Amino acid sequence: MSDWKQDLHKTRYVMDVLLLISFMLVSAPQATGLTGHEWLSVLFIVPFAVHLLLHWDWIKQSAKRFIQHISAKERFSLVWNYLLYVMMLLATVSGFLVSVALLPTLNIELHIQDFWSKIHHDSATLIMPIIGVHLALHWRWIVNLTKRMRMKGAKV
Amino acid sequence: MKYLQYHWKSRTCAVLLISVVISVLLISLELTDWAAQINQQGYSHGGEGGEGNKVPSFLRYILPFVKELVLIGVPMLLTLLFLKISRMLKRSPNR
Repeated sequence: MSDWKQDLHKTRYVMDVLLLISFMLVSAPQATGLTGHEWLSVLFIVPFAVHLLLHWDWIKQSAKRFIQHISAKERFSLVWNYLLYVMMLLATVSGFLVSVALLPTLNIELHIQDFWSKIHHDSATLIMPIIGVHLALHWRWIVNLTKRMRMKGAKV
Repeated sequence: MKYLQYHWKSRTCAVLLISVVISVLLISLELTDWAAQINQQGYSHGGEGGEGNKVPSFLRYILPFVKELVLIGVPMLLTLLFLKISRMLKRSPNR
C-alpha cells in the first residue's frame, strides 16, 4: 500500500476516500456543531481542490468528449460531474453567506437572508444523492482499485 | 505526490478563478424575484429545541451520519441496479 503515491489511480483512490470522509464530516453539522461545521467546510476546500487537480486531464478533455461520439452513460456521467461541481459550489457559497461562526470570528458582518439559508440546506441535502449516483457511475473503478489496494506488495 | 505537484500552481489558479466566477454568478441569484419571494415568506428548517431534545445524546452524533449513508447509499444502489438492468437488456436481443 506504500506505493500509492507512485500510481495516479492509487493516488486518486486514497485522495477520494479522504474526500468522501471529509465530506461526510462536513455534512453533519448536528454532530460536529455549527462552529466545527463551518471551519471543517473551509478545510474541505483542500481535498475538493485536490480531487479536481488529480482529474485535470479529464477536465481538459471533457468539453471535447461531449461533442464526440461517446456512450450515453459517459455523456450522462460528464453532465453529472459538472452538476455535482456546481452544486458543491452552491452549497459552499451559500454556506459562507449564512455563516454564524466563521465570518463573525473574522470580523465580517453579514445580513443572513432566508433565501441563502434555504439554498444552503436544500443544496447540501441534494448533493448527497448526486454523490450517490456519481459513485455508482464509477463503481467498477472503485471496486477494481479497492482490490488493487488490498493486494499486499502489488506492483504498480 | 508527483501527480499533485505537476503544474499545481497554474492549475489551482485556474480552478480557483473558474470557481470564483461561477460563485459570483450564483450569488447574483439573490437579485432574482425567486430570492425576494423566499425572503418575504421566511424560511426555517428546525433548529434548537423541539423534538430534537428528546433524542438521546449519543444518537445526535450518529443519526446525521446514518442520514448521509441513506441519502448517498440508496441513490447509489438504485443507479447500480439500473445500470445492471440496462446492461442485461442490451445483451438480450443478441441471444
